[in-house]
Amino acid sequence: MSHKFQRNSPQMLGVASTVSSTTPSNQPRKRVKRCCRNFVTFMCTQVGVGALIVVYAIFGALTFMHIEREFVDTTTAHVLELRQNFSQRLWNITEEHNLIDKPLWVNETNSVLREYQAEIAAIIKNGYVGRSPADMWSFPAALMFCLSVITMIGYGNMVPRTPWGKGFTVIYATFGIPLYILYFLNMGRVLARSFKFLYRSLHDCTQEKNYDARLEALEGGGSLGALTLRKKIIVPSTACLWVIMFYILTGTIMFANWEKWSFLNSFYFCMTSLCKIGFGDFVPGASLTTAADVDAATQKLREDIAADPNEVSELQRIADQHSKLAINFIYMLLGMGLVAMCRNLMREEVRVKLKEMKEDTKLCVEDTRLRFVGCCGDPRDLYENDYY
Amino acid sequence: MSSRRSSFRRREKPAFERFKDHCRHFTAFMFSNVGIILLVTFYTIGGAFVFQAIEIFENEKMKIIKPHRFIERNFSGDCLNRIWELTAENISFFDRQVYRKRVNDALLDYQRAVVKKQLLGPDVDHQWSFSGAFLYSLTVITTIGYGNITPSSDWGKLVTILYAIIGMPLFLLYLSNIGDVLAKSFKWIYSKVCLCRICPGVAKRRIIRERRKLRQLARALQLHQMESARGGSSSSYSSNSNSTSNSSSSSSSDYTKSSVQTSSVLDVPYTDSDSDIEREIRGSTDEITVPLTVCVFVMVSYILSGAILFGRWEDWNYLDGSYFCFISLSSIGFGDLVPGDRVITADKDKVEVSFILCAVYLLLGMALIAMCFNLMQEQVIHNMRAIKRGFKACFRCRSS
Repeated sequence: MSHKFQRNSPQMLGVASTVSSTTPSNQPRKRVKRCCRNFVTFMCTQVGVGALIVVYAIFGALTFMHIEREFVDTTTAHVLELRQNFSQRLWNITEEHNLIDKPLWVNETNSVLREYQAEIAAIIKNGYVGRSPADMWSFPAALMFCLSVITMIGYGNMVPRTPWGKGFTVIYATFGIPLYILYFLNMGRVLARSFKFLYRSLHDCTQEKNYDARLEALEGGGSLGALTLRKKIIVPSTACLWVIMFYILTGTIMFANWEKWSFLNSFYFCMTSLCKIGFGDFVPGASLTTAADVDAATQKLREDIAADPNEVSELQRIADQHSKLAINFIYMLLGMGLVAMCRNLMREEVRVKLKEMKEDTKLCVEDTRLRFVGCCGDPRDLYENDYY
Repeated sequence: MSSRRSSFRRREKPAFERFKDHCRHFTAFMFSNVGIILLVTFYTIGGAFVFQAIEIFENEKMKIIKPHRFIERNFSGDCLNRIWELTAENISFFDRQVYRKRVNDALLDYQRAVVKKQLLGPDVDHQWSFSGAFLYSLTVITTIGYGNITPSSDWGKLVTILYAIIGMPLFLLYLSNIGDVLAKSFKWIYSKVCLCRICPGVAKRRIIRERRKLRQLARALQLHQMESARGGSSSSYSSNSNSTSNSSSSSSSDYTKSSVQTSSVLDVPYTDSDSDIEREIRGSTDEITVPLTVCVFVMVSYILSGAILFGRWEDWNYLDGSYFCFISLSSIGFGDLVPGDRVITADKDKVEVSFILCAVYLLLGMALIAMCFNLMQEQVIHNMRAIKRGFKACFRCRSS
């Protein structure tokens, strides 16, 4: 019984490889069990969860594209009709007054324009942004939307307009957010462990030189101290902050170059994104969604060959924005993982610091008490103090 | 001499102790629930004032430095001139189709300009009213980030970053603290009301009924086991294995799943003494776990009530209302539907009540969500432990 239990307990902990190597697994049931276990452990590792997140995001992007493109945007047609109508009215005015009476013409036209403005303003209030859903919901943009939902950033530059889209967003978030949190915790643990290992090895390397120098002086006495020192190494929070700062600066420079933002704006974007606030006043790939501009540029290029080279480079820039968007995607996911790592490390450090502080204060209180007693003590007071 | 010293000490030491006590009490209070709620509220209000001041001040400064940015462009006048020119040059060849096309282009440009102007939102003074700024700082520290109001000046952006760095841990502290308290009180209410612990008679009867049921089950199992033991020739004992199941099972070969169940069932004491039941009633309040369905029900009902509330205030339909509540409480915050929209544009006296209610809804809702997650986590851990135990038993019986 006891040895059986021993065999079972490491399996529960998920350390499968050592156990299965010792026992020959001829039975198919055991093999299947091991396969299942390996699969589950793999899916719970960072690779599995990361792959799951990516697959989930791509699935969501495709679904949202499908749902939102179905949406028959009556407002676009309505706006077009409105414009035709008003140009017809302008024509009528022109025909009627025939340019002889300019003040009258101006008056009439102005009133027509004002009417037009009021109509347009009313339409905008209902959420018209001047782009058709097919233009807006390109695949990369939908991918960014899905990412912003499951990471709880919520930029809000693109939102679902259909009731089905809204409902699906709620369901998508309900399943996506726990998945993302799993990723966050997993990534944080793994990154924290590797960062700690890196820091420790670096620390050992630098310590080695000092240690050699000290060894000559102390001989043997130093080894004990070094051993105890190695055990106590804890990554200081400043190191975490440096890593985060470095990451944010990289992002700042990257986005400033790509999106032609100023450095402050870029920094602001990185900070608000990594803090999951996500105002949406700056969004990467917002320039990407203007597919109409690209089409216009291509048409212009086709019409006259002697177009300026600026536009060609512009097209080139837009063409490789898909790769940029992928990098952007990875930047966000990795950044969240880094934040999780820092959270883990700093929590550990704070815990240790708190314990130390508690001991320190205890010592300090004890010290003051002793001094107090020593300074002006008589036996009765000592007794009183012991009571506290 | 000694008496004087002791009197001095008696006067001095209580003061020191009192001071220490005061300090301790103050710190404890600040980290208690009320203190943290006050802290969050004051932090938000302070942030609102700071942001309002910064944005309006920077805007004034910009107006002085770069006045050309703030001249109202007269879009309709521009468009009018353009159309006039078009008409003037087109009058010579009088082609109606071409004329309409060009006028259409002019109108399209005009429309784009209007859209852009409208999307930029109203001007700074309207946007950064106190309620708007309050909502802004609330969305920063709760990481909702609607984005309907954003800082436009450099200083505003920098201060936002700093404000978020300090405010978010504070809010997390608030969430964990209030979530804990709410979870505890909810558990208490659940145990008192839903399981009828509040009137001892019902509880006692319920426990007696449960025990009777368990005992019947145990007896049936025992009978079954006895029969199986009689049928199987190899096994030597089964009737006395119930009482000493732990010691016998380690050596027994037919340590089956049923016997595991029996041993767990038979832990129930046979005697129905009152003191025993009283103890169980009192003791199990801490061990009780609220089922998942209740938590989910609480969350869903909170969101639906929010949908009804906001639907009444903002004239949204129920789908939009619940969508808004979900997006806000999960801290996604798209900002396509914002409670402040009517609030900000309305006059200042009427604003405050519905506005404060909205802020309270958000703060309370987030704490409630935290509470539900707290309870759900407990329940899931409880379930996982049970599953683990079951698996272990399963493995044990399979491998034997």
